Amino acid sequence: MTSPLEARSLSLVREGNTVLDDVSFTVAQGEIFALLGGNGAGKSSTLLTFLGFLEPSGGDILVNGTSVGSDVALARSAIAYLPEAAALYGHMTAYENLDYFLDLADKLASQAEIDAALERVALLVEARSRRLQSYSKGMRQKTAIALALLRETPILLLDEPTSGLDPIAIDEFHDLVKALAEGGQTILMVTHDVYGACQVADRVGLLRRGKLVGSFAAENNKRINTEAVHAAFAEREAV
Amino acid sequence: MMLRNFAREIRFLSKDRGALFWLALSFILSVIAVSFGVTEVREQRETIANLIEEDAADRANALEGQEDWGSAAYYAFHFTYAPPSDFAFAAMGQRDSTPWKHRVRMLALEAQIHEADTRNADFGLVGRFDFAFLAASVVPLLLILLLYDLRASERSASRHDFLVATAGSSLSLWFPRALVRVAGLALLLLVPLWVASLIAGASGMVTLQATGIVVGALAVWWLIVELVSRIKASPSVLLTSLIGLWLALAIVVPALSKAVIETNNPIPDGGEILLLQRETVNDAWDLPKEATMKPFIETHPEWREYAEIEEGFEWKWYYAFQQVGDQKAAPLVEQYREARLRRDRQAGIAALLSPTSFVERAFEKLAGTDAVSMIAYEDEVRDFHAELRAFHYPLMFPEKDYDSGLLAELPLYKPES
Amino acid sequence: MTAITRIAREEWRLWLRSKTVVAAALIVVALLTATSVLTVHRIASEQSQRLEQQVAAEQTFFAQPDRHPHRMVHYGHYAFRPPPPLAMFEPGVDAVTGQSIFLEGHRQNTAMFADTKAAADLGGFAALTPAGLYQLLLPLLLIVLGHALFLRERESGTLAVMLAQGQSGVKLALGKATALLVVIAIFMIPLIAVAAYSVSLGESALAAFSLVGGYFAYLCIWGAIVLTASVILKQRAVSLGVLIFIWLFAALIVPRFAINASSVAIDAPGKIESDLVMLAEQRKLGDGHNAADPAFQRLQDQVLKQYDVETIEELPINWRGVVASYSEAELTELLNDYTEKRMGLEASQSRMFEWFGLASPTISVSSLSRALAGTDLATHHRFLRESEVLRFDFVQSLNQAHAEKLDYTTDINRNNDAASAQRARINSASWQVLDEFRFAPDSASKRLGRTALSLGILIMWLLLACVIVLLTARRVRV
Repeated sequence: MTSPLEARSLSLVREGNTVLDDVSFTVAQGEIFALLGGNGAGKSSTLLTFLGFLEPSGGDILVNGTSVGSDVALARSAIAYLPEAAALYGHMTAYENLDYFLDLADKLASQAEIDAALERVALLVEARSRRLQSYSKGMRQKTAIALALLRETPILLLDEPTSGLDPIAIDEFHDLVKALAEGGQTILMVTHDVYGACQVADRVGLLRRGKLVGSFAAENNKRINTEAVHAAFAEREAV
Repeated sequence: MMLRNFAREIRFLSKDRGALFWLALSFILSVIAVSFGVTEVREQRETIANLIEEDAADRANALEGQEDWGSAAYYAFHFTYAPPSDFAFAAMGQRDSTPWKHRVRMLALEAQIHEADTRNADFGLVGRFDFAFLAASVVPLLLILLLYDLRASERSASRHDFLVATAGSSLSLWFPRALVRVAGLALLLLVPLWVASLIAGASGMVTLQATGIVVGALAVWWLIVELVSRIKASPSVLLTSLIGLWLALAIVVPALSKAVIETNNPIPDGGEILLLQRETVNDAWDLPKEATMKPFIETHPEWREYAEIEEGFEWKWYYAFQQVGDQKAAPLVEQYREARLRRDRQAGIAALLSPTSFVERAFEKLAGTDAVSMIAYEDEVRDFHAELRAFHYPLMFPEKDYDSGLLAELPLYKPES
Repeated sequence: MTAITRIAREEWRLWLRSKTVVAAALIVVALLTATSVLTVHRIASEQSQRLEQQVAAEQTFFAQPDRHPHRMVHYGHYAFRPPPPLAMFEPGVDAVTGQSIFLEGHRQNTAMFADTKAAADLGGFAALTPAGLYQLLLPLLLIVLGHALFLRERESGTLAVMLAQGQSGVKLALGKATALLVVIAIFMIPLIAVAAYSVSLGESALAAFSLVGGYFAYLCIWGAIVLTASVILKQRAVSLGVLIFIWLFAALIVPRFAINASSVAIDAPGKIESDLVMLAEQRKLGDGHNAADPAFQRLQDQVLKQYDVETIEELPINWRGVVASYSEAELTELLNDYTEKRMGLEASQSRMFEWFGLASPTISVSSLSRALAGTDLATHHRFLRESEVLRFDFVQSLNQAHAEKLDYTTDINRNNDAASAQRARINSASWQVLDEFRFAPDSASKRLGRTALSLGILIMWLLLACVIVLLTARRVRV
């Protein structure tokens, strides 16, 4: 069986700098894989190569067994992507945003389905017809996740999903992600939140200076390998 | 699928207050431009109608009590004019700086045709706010303001990748989004133009061509904005570059082309035409009569047998030296006319480098307010003046008895268009 | 004080490091230089050409042989208007009006052969002049340079730091204003050079440096507008967009709108139109060529009585000359009446146009600039009036010679044969009656007086803009 997400000896060079160097991993269906790393470790670049925004300089990147380079649109249609700052339109309401983006993704959803999705992410009913510019970061995040839910894609890519959220919102978010994975979605998230990653992920990969320096199952090892993690983050000071 | 994209982007546009502002502005400006144009054309028509009437009354008055053909021709002025076309409301063009009405009589034409009955000089200097100016110069700026940050603003809100990832491809996102704006702009500009065309009674063909020009110009500017805004730069840098491009295409290229064309095609000093004509006419008084009649007969051999001047003053000699004055100046006049046409032709080629100049010239051409039309009007005045001579010479030279009744047959100026 | 210069210096450092800003400034400098050199060159050659033509016209007139005096009335003369020194910066209406005029008896001609008539038509902006660049392009450069002047500090968060350090918003704004002021000062240098050059050519220093002052005020207004936008608005793209819109409005739309509006509001009939009305009246006066016209009966009675004779043949002067002189005077009075009316209407149109300066400082500075340079409509009107005086004087002097130097009987028999025609002439020395004509615009103080409205509006704009900058800067918060 092919993995929904696979990086094969992925390397990436941008403007002469090596961003990713021989990175290989797979994420199985229903699995949550968290890539941990400091600033500039190459986390976000990894996500962008899966979306076809960055072309690998070496190796390959596959979505559902197909190379992204051969059919970008196919890859994107299988993926819901949540950028770091939940990037929805501030001048539109949650309903209007969902309507717009679903249309953009060529996806039809009934009002009932939309409400169900918003219910699932626990966005207050009275907030749904308000413009997003009045939302807190957590509420925007919820709207963006509702969009991901409605798109019913098998794969979810999350970029620093919990940064800037308060602890309660983080917990809610983690529960939601776990529920999604249980429902069969494949989730790749990148984060520098070590403890959060270990709480939610099935497996954690450590990215350091563009290299995958280690990966371990988080579930069986609540006490994580602090040395490896610190080594990965030490890069920040070095930069 | 494409249709759904457009429906979505229209809904999106309807919530974008910035874009709506630019669109509303373009509509208001278009309404203002065409209403001023329609008013101006109406005023010019009224002026012409008035002048035709007054001119006829004045001529009748002048002819009353005349006793010979010579004085009748001397005192009778004739109004000539180029009426504004039905589409002139959209582009006043050269009508503001080149005369479109004259009153001529049978004296040397070169002393009359260069009279400039133009409006307040400030008008010609600053220029009018007509549709052609709007479409040529202002609309590109509005389009730039409407489109420059389609991508860049999403990028600076870090929404760009998210949008593209959701849409799957850029084509189904940026193209409809921009097209909706461009189409909206075009429609809001053109609707007032269409309405005004109906009111002014412009032909459908001309309106269609004007529509084509506007749409074509928008497409060119769209392409320019599209190419520039693909550069991954901040919105303000993009806007600065686009304004720079606008300056280059709307101001620098036309100014440069104009300077080059005018240096390469020197035009005879108009004063020389007048001087030559005046010297010829005035010298004739002191010269032997044959000095006038000989060159006159060369161009009018049919009056050879009546070309003997016996008296100290005879009207036919007087008009002959007026004619000879024109003949003497003719080569210079032709040079002047040719140089104007040549400059205009080259300007037409140079305008291909500047969408602004091109649109303005194309509109002037459609409206019949370009240099060629103004020169054509001058040619009509020359033709009419020749008709006047052709009417009087057969009466004057054989010295037919004066019959004021025949003057009812005086040629009347009829504009071609 | 040091804080302000410090802020200004930082701003300059930033500009010098920005490729966009340096490129924009260099382009403007290049355009300004090229246009100035071309215009200075063109105006200088036009000036000497016109002067030569004027002298040549006078010499041809003087060189005419013995003739019948009325022939010289129709031979006529030319008046030329050489461009004033400051026209090399602001050619003004000269290109539109034509700069030479043919003067003859019984007629007031218009100035002929305007440059625009024979110009290559490439649309509204093709006639580029240094003044046009200052009016249109430099505000745009200030916008590019300054749209993020203040909000950059906000974007980068340094505003909070500065305010926290106890710097006031006003001080910060003054620093930014100083930086922009230095830019404006630098771009004034070409204008100052042109002004100084024009003074060396005989232009009054008052006019030349009032012009410099006017443009300085104009650019300061734009500087203040730019600074205000960068204080009020929070995103640089929005600030740039808003400023470009203000520029589009003030520099392109309002001036042309004002032209349309003043032409609709005040109807100034053209020359043909007012001539036709006048011609009807003229006919009542009689025709100067025909001394037997009944309208002259009264004049005849009066003159006969004055000289105490019975018939015009007995008069010691030439009756035909008397008639010509009389009717020229009457006609001129009538012509001037209508011309003054027409010029008055045109002047009030231009006045109305000037009032639109309240909506666009570009209108004010352009009116001010034309008036000070002596290339405005009023100067053109002055040229028309002065050339009319010239025309009337030489025509009347010739008519006087006609009356006094030519015998009446000889005169009426002039067409009998060649010998009679030969006799009906006067000595060419009489042509010396023509006055030397050298057109010069109004005195500097008079030109300055004409700019009162525009100058007032410009100063109002400047004060308003400065007050708004200070008010917004004082209320600035993080």
